[in-house]
Amino acid sequence: MQRFEGQVQVVLYPFALNPTSEVATQAAWCAGEQGKFWEFHHMLYRRQELWNRLAAPLERLGEFAKDLNLDTAALKSCVESGRMQGRMQADKAYGQQLQVNSTPTMFINDNSDNRIVGTRSEGELVRLIRQELDRVQRSGQ
Amino acid sequence: MPKKSKARMQTLSPRQQSSQKPLTPRRWRLKLVIGGAVLAVALGVGGLVRFLQQRDLTPRLQGTGDKHYTLGTAGAAVVIKEFSDYT
Repeated sequence: MQRFEGQVQVVLYPFALNPTSEVATQAAWCAGEQGKFWEFHHMLYRRQELWNRLAAPLERLGEFAKDLNLDTAALKSCVESGRMQGRMQADKAYGQQLQVNSTPTMFINDNSDNRIVGTRSEGELVRLIRQELDRVQRSGQ
Repeated sequence: MPKKSKARMQTLSPRQQSSQKPLTPRRWRLKLVIGGAVLAVALGVGGLVRFLQQRDLTPRLQGTGDKHYTLGTAGAAVVIKEFSDYT
């Protein structure tokens, strides 16, 4: 991302594939309400092994929140209130409309032909981004 | 019994006999034309389905992005929408 500063924007659509992930997605947005979405997001991946097999991961995620100096009680009550459910379902529905059925899936510049499914190496992503930047540049001339 | 069937074989009508003849070039041509038409229709339907899917997909990809967390500059030349799962 840094090498393309000013040229690339990534919009994140959390796409929960199971109930455990649904809780994590909501917790991340609730952390966002306290201004720490990205910190929580990265922590979810870094500590994935510690929570992703739990049927009820909220307690564990609360501990992560504490490590980020978040208000744990507020985060838990935010998740439990179901306030983020609608938002999560909307993203899920949007992904399903776009025939997303595995993650990660990426779309470059709203082009359905530029659909990238599965994990790609950094080198390949860089190549695809450069290719798209060239295309945009050419079409702008 | 075998005798009886032999007798029947001998009394085939002229029409039945003609149906056992090899296909004439004209009938082959007809079959080719019908086969070609079926293939063309199948390809056309396939192409139409693909076109409609893409046409539906493109507008739906547009106009979202609000209420979502982003990295990078707004209005960048390349916008990547990433769908990812935490597990």
